[in-house]
Amino acid sequence: MMKGFLTRLSKVLASDSSEGSDKNAKAAKAAEETTQPPAVPDKVANTKKKKAPKEEKKVSKIQVDPSLQPICFFFEAHQPNRLKPYSFFDIGNDPFYEDDELNRKLLDEVCEVSYLPANKMMTELIKEGKGQFRISLSVSGVLLEQLELNRPDVLKSFQDLHATGGVEIVAETYYHSMGFHRSKEEFKEQVEKQLEKIKEVFGVRPKAFRHTACVYYNELAAFVESMGFESMLGEAVGWILHGREANRLYRSPNCTTLKAHLRNGILSDDVAFRFGNHAWPQHPLTAEKFATWCQTNGGEVVNLFMDYECIGKHQDKDTGIFEFFRAFPAAWEKLGGRFVTVSESAAELEVAGEYDCHEPTSWADTEKDLSPWKGNAMQEEARRKILIIEKQVKSKNNPELLHQWRKMQTAEHFYFMSTKGGESGKVHERLRPYPSAYEAYLYFMNALSDLQIRLDEE
Amino acid sequence: MKVLMLGWEFPPLINGGLGIACLGLGRAMAQQVELSFILPKVDPAFLVDQLELIGLNHLEDRTIDREKVEQSLADVANVKWVEGEVASRMLPYQLEEVERAQGHSETTFTTVEESKKSLAGEKVIDRLRAVGLDERLAMFRDDTLYGDDVGERVWAYAQVAASLAEDMDFDIVHAHDWMTFVAGMEIKKRTGKPLVLHVHSLNYDRGGPDARGWIYDIEKSAMEAADLVIPVSRYTGTICTGHYGIDASKVHFVHNGADPVKTYRSKSPFKHGLVLFLGRLTGQKGPRFFLEIAAKVLEKNPGVYFVMAGTGEKMRELIEYGAFKDVGDRLHFTGFLNKEKVNKLLSMTDVYCMPSVSEPFGLSAIEAAQYGIPAVISKQSGVAEVMTHARHADFWDVNMMAEHINELLTDPKAREEAIQYSLEDQKNCTWEAATERIIELYRDQLGIHN
Repeated sequence: MMKGFLTRLSKVLASDSSEGSDKNAKAAKAAEETTQPPAVPDKVANTKKKKAPKEEKKVSKIQVDPSLQPICFFFEAHQPNRLKPYSFFDIGNDPFYEDDELNRKLLDEVCEVSYLPANKMMTELIKEGKGQFRISLSVSGVLLEQLELNRPDVLKSFQDLHATGGVEIVAETYYHSMGFHRSKEEFKEQVEKQLEKIKEVFGVRPKAFRHTACVYYNELAAFVESMGFESMLGEAVGWILHGREANRLYRSPNCTTLKAHLRNGILSDDVAFRFGNHAWPQHPLTAEKFATWCQTNGGEVVNLFMDYECIGKHQDKDTGIFEFFRAFPAAWEKLGGRFVTVSESAAELEVAGEYDCHEPTSWADTEKDLSPWKGNAMQEEARRKILIIEKQVKSKNNPELLHQWRKMQTAEHFYFMSTKGGESGKVHERLRPYPSAYEAYLYFMNALSDLQIRLDEE
Repeated sequence: MKVLMLGWEFPPLINGGLGIACLGLGRAMAQQVELSFILPKVDPAFLVDQLELIGLNHLEDRTIDREKVEQSLADVANVKWVEGEVASRMLPYQLEEVERAQGHSETTFTTVEESKKSLAGEKVIDRLRAVGLDERLAMFRDDTLYGDDVGERVWAYAQVAASLAEDMDFDIVHAHDWMTFVAGMEIKKRTGKPLVLHVHSLNYDRGGPDARGWIYDIEKSAMEAADLVIPVSRYTGTICTGHYGIDASKVHFVHNGADPVKTYRSKSPFKHGLVLFLGRLTGQKGPRFFLEIAAKVLEKNPGVYFVMAGTGEKMRELIEYGAFKDVGDRLHFTGFLNKEKVNKLLSMTDVYCMPSVSEPFGLSAIEAAQYGIPAVISKQSGVAEVMTHARHADFWDVNMMAEHINELLTDPKAREEAIQYSLEDQKNCTWEAATERIIELYRDQLGIHN
């Protein structure tokens, strides 16, 4: 059942990735890789053999209930490069758009309250192996970059977590962007860049893909399939499932091999959003209670997808989120449950039916569509105008300019421009580093004007 | 001749257009006549040569004995507060709402650290307390002069100013804008002195032709009661006579002046030109027309940039409308700018555009001219009468406005001509000329000679 990619050569990979940040070592590394790739699966198999008996012993104490659907945890770690209050007077004078100080501050904060303690906890849980605990994880390229630059210790802790062998790395776009509708070519390049980065940092090539905010639709799925991925994550959207269970794998009608893993929105949000809410009737949510909910949820796999920052940031430590996660694998194991990664469930399960998703869906807001990033005039204009200069940017053959342009495609820039009200609006407001959506738009457009002027002058 | 002026805004505390005009006029007039200004708020450290400033927020230090005060401070100015710790009372706040209106700040004033000469005599405040004006005075210690209770303030100001005026010696009472018109009427009633109303802006300009209400009523009844109405332009005069039905024989416009400013040019990254809108983002200024004009110009000259400097209640709506018109990467918003930033902007600007729906004067067009920037201004503005060579169009005629802008940006000869003409035009706009004309009007219309 377990696939080779699930367990890792921690030592080999650790040394690999530490070299990864060193540009000079790249060529040497590449050479090494071309000569040695077949060694990886073999070694994986060896380490697995060493580890496996231990795990099986533990598991055998508890009766695994074969009829109980496993849980698939997926976490997304990402931090955007927020823009500074880039003013009109900066246009033509300041080629730096990002608020380095703020980004650094927020990065440090999220590292301290979330990434570091969560990585530590996950490492321990995987090593304990209750219910063969394992997770799937995606770390955006822009976050990996920030970590490399400012927090190599945290990057190392992600690598260590991955080295436990209980983590499947899932692919995405390097820039956490949403430009597929405008340019497939650019989308592909960003995915490939992310694959390179993952190779460099974690030494693997992911089989599963998850687009920014779990965006999923047929056209995108078919393209992702064409890029060689076997699985793609999405949101289980009621009006497309038409009463069918979310806890199964599906397939878009225009795909032949790609499996759609749909997020169980209710159970995921119980942890990701409602966990610390005292007004929620189910508060406090204990590991035991949640395990029973999962147990009775039916289907073949419970997909719990959420931001990694939910652990410790969105749900701070005072909510008891860490205690919850610490206790959950044991509670789940007690019921006879086990855990799988995305690709494990893909290998285990056949698709249960067609998932005909014409319109883009996402895991965001209550609307579960692209409305957090588009819809108002400011978002529409900003999105369009950053994407339409693709040819011009690429014609300059200037890697720095290209990188800067791509960083401006990061979805949060448009998310911050949302003028939504209600529950969703409150979330937008909480995450926005500016007084309002209007500032987010103005700073972005000012920076864009500067970028355009630089393009013209180049 | 002794003139008592009633004002509302005044630098450095409030730097809206009204305050700037009152200071400019006050400074020039004080050289010709004996001039006192009653204001809701003054900064005691702010003194103007020969001009007496009386602030309702600082009456504590004001004594009745006028002669002694004048003797003691004649060398500095006819200012009457004093009695110790004046400097510590200075309130260095800025009233954001109003200040944002134009982003002006005054630089040519005299500031004294403190003035310690103490005087004998009864305190004004005790007198006013005796007649029950205490709580009225308290209103002027707040940080704002407008807000929801502006009506109460206007009334309180009228009562206190009238009480003060009864003790004062003057020939003419000259009130600036509706906030002081009630006081003007009250003083005329109590003292029998002729009332002059200086109209800087009307409810019509701020609220549109269909705006009615108590402010309109104050304006109309005050202008009816006045002996002389001085609008800041011929254009505004036509509103007084036409819209308010005021007898044309007592309406005589006097154009505002403009203080000369130091100008400079700085390098601009906008190679194909920068077009500036400067002013409050409110309906009266026509900011939405500016957006339309920008979109029109961009159809022909996609490399041109536009900037809207200022803030106001329409800002968010305008930002979204700009995005909707697809001009967000060509039309930028700066938000509120201080004077230094405004100057910086002027130094980069290639064309100034003022599409005001109704603009009694429009000082900023003259400032732009001082910077050698050709202007495209609406016909519905007073400044169009002064800047006779500037490009004019009706505020709603975005095609014409856009044509003017395109020509000024792409035809170097037309541009150079426009610059030379506007430099000539603005030279005639001085507060000295305005003062002369006002003194003439006092003489011819009121029969009071200097």
